[in-house]
Amino acid sequence: MHIPDGFLDPWICAVMYIISAAVIGYSARKLKGKLEGPQVPLIGIVAAGIFAAQMLNWPIPGGTSAHFVGGAIAGILMGPYAGCLAMASVLTIQCLVFGDGGITALGANIFNMAIVDVFVGYWIFKALRERNRDVSLFLAGWIGIWLGAIAAGIEIGVSSIFAYGLTTTVSVMGIWHGVLGIVEGIITMLAVRFVLVRRPDLVPVQKEVMA
Amino acid sequence: MELKEELRKWRTVLIVIAAMILVSPFFAWAAEVVGYAEPLENAAEHLGAIEHEYAIISGIIPDYTIPGANPYASTIVAGIVGCLIVLCLGFVIGKALEGK
Repeated sequence: MHIPDGFLDPWICAVMYIISAAVIGYSARKLKGKLEGPQVPLIGIVAAGIFAAQMLNWPIPGGTSAHFVGGAIAGILMGPYAGCLAMASVLTIQCLVFGDGGITALGANIFNMAIVDVFVGYWIFKALRERNRDVSLFLAGWIGIWLGAIAAGIEIGVSSIFAYGLTTTVSVMGIWHGVLGIVEGIITMLAVRFVLVRRPDLVPVQKEVMA
Repeated sequence: MELKEELRKWRTVLIVIAAMILVSPFFAWAAEVVGYAEPLENAAEHLGAIEHEYAIISGIIPDYTIPGANPYASTIVAGIVGCLIVLCLGFVIGKALEGK
């Protein structure tokens, strides 16, 4: 889902950079001077875990596959603002150090995976966790990545290189990532449960300050 | 040292991260075997956009592989380097936002 250089028209690159910079700036301002104790190293640890997990491409035969993205996990474990900063860190390093995702498309990639996936995932979890925690985690992972993929489909679909084929790009991204996103939902549920069993102290902390 | 104490609490999670890095070369190999392609690339191919793809910055470890090195070893090195950089970057951000 990392958009390379050359796919997006310059205007859409610029718009996505502006939106992403604004949300990152807002997130940093919301958290400034508020992190305490275990929250301080949390951004780094979650970012490292997500980076490692993103290296594991799912080997699904047939030429259409994906890898885990993890924005919803970041948002759920740390709240959306810190989650956004962690995901943006991962995407920036992937772009600059590993050439994964283009520098011109970094604003768009951050929007899709560090903003849409993180905030949508967090909101779904927050809205449904009282009813059924596991279902809320699954839906957060699934719908978060699905909407992130649709956002990517819109960005490439309004670009001239894709012949303004918005219907095609949104359907391809939406349908495939809608199906593959089920795996993302399952991993999100298992990973958050795994972390919470080990660090149950994180949840109340997150509720008070980071959300 | 507070950070050391904190990292000790995260031991299991850090072990899982290390394990993911260790198995990553097998996933890279399997991806090659099955002809891994993401929906984004398929859409680009379908609409003739794929030939416009390029990379302004290919990075110091392009595509998670060190040119000329053993592909298995270089994927592991890429994983370790990437995880350490994002871990440090995350710590710096966390420190910068820490309450006084």
